[in-house]
Amino acid sequence: MAIKKMAFIVDKLPYKSETSRLALTHAISSQTVEIYLDDGDNVEPVLAFVGDGVLNCLKDQKALDIYGVTSLEMHIKNALLLDLRVLVCKEDLERFGLSEDNIVMDAEEIGGEITTEVVPFEKIQEEMASSDHLLYF
Amino acid sequence: MGKLTIGCFSSLVGSMSLDFAVKLSEAAVKKGHEVDLWLSGNGVMLGKTGQSKFRDYSYLAGPVEELLKTGKFKVTNCEACAKARGIDKSDTMEGFGIHSMDWYLASAFSADRVIHIGGE
Amino acid sequence: MKLAVFVNEYNEPAILERLKADRFGIVLVQNGVYHAALKNNGEASPVLSRDAEFYALSEDLQSRGLSEGNIDPKVKVIDYEGLVDLIFNDYEKFMWL
Repeated sequence: MAIKKMAFIVDKLPYKSETSRLALTHAISSQTVEIYLDDGDNVEPVLAFVGDGVLNCLKDQKALDIYGVTSLEMHIKNALLLDLRVLVCKEDLERFGLSEDNIVMDAEEIGGEITTEVVPFEKIQEEMASSDHLLYF
Repeated sequence: MGKLTIGCFSSLVGSMSLDFAVKLSEAAVKKGHEVDLWLSGNGVMLGKTGQSKFRDYSYLAGPVEELLKTGKFKVTNCEACAKARGIDKSDTMEGFGIHSMDWYLASAFSADRVIHIGGE
Repeated sequence: MKLAVFVNEYNEPAILERLKADRFGIVLVQNGVYHAALKNNGEASPVLSRDAEFYALSEDLQSRGLSEGNIDPKVKVIDYEGLVDLIFNDYEKFMWL
């Protein structure tokens, strides 16, 4: 029985390319990975937004209306709904003049119970160090 | 000997990252390691049938076929990424697997090393 | 942690200066090999000022017409097989920047 921790580090901006979207969809796919693993084995994902990647977390994205694609905001809410840990780099938010008020902090309206954690980069670095594998998007 | 999982999300044409992923796979297999190559995003182009070998475009079908023959190399397309691009099983080279994204995480679970090459 | 990052562009990825590791490797691949081979106004690339061990992929140097004899002495030139050894023997985690 083993749990492998995988850190999904998102540093890319949304929409122009699908990179950050694929980070979210792959992280969320951890919910069904057990079907390939032995009993008791599982993957523990942690999602961390750093650098320009913090802009994926902005509220009020209208991508579904404009581009016809699920917004990154909705994907982040889905991740929170599924109890995936979502970390956002505090220094990078501050660099853009943003705060918790500007980003997706919870998914209460769809039944999510956990909230986004705004943390210093040092904490994200610790999560990377304690992960078995890094997936940098 | 170990297992290396490579995820590549970059396109066959317009990027040389798949070329890197395939050459790294060849070197790892040559040294006796096992390699899983997961293709997502534009990376799913690697397995498209009917590609033409033009000298101005990256072409990797030959090396991939040779790698598959070794029995130490698995290559798998992200099902949703392929379908979104109109690539179905019938459009995919023989020997390629097609799975949902959780397959990549399962492969990474049992890998000694993971190299994730994100998109452009 | 033993972390190796792949630098594949001829610019400095912003995250590079923030990363810390017990053993830190910077592997220059694709257009990243220019960091090893070029000086800008006589100055070596700032990437090479990082506290790290540096490697450059010989195939990517050769593809770009860069001579292995002219690269910065801090940088060790390796081929794909050397890279495989590095991946399995010297580092545990990787980031493609």
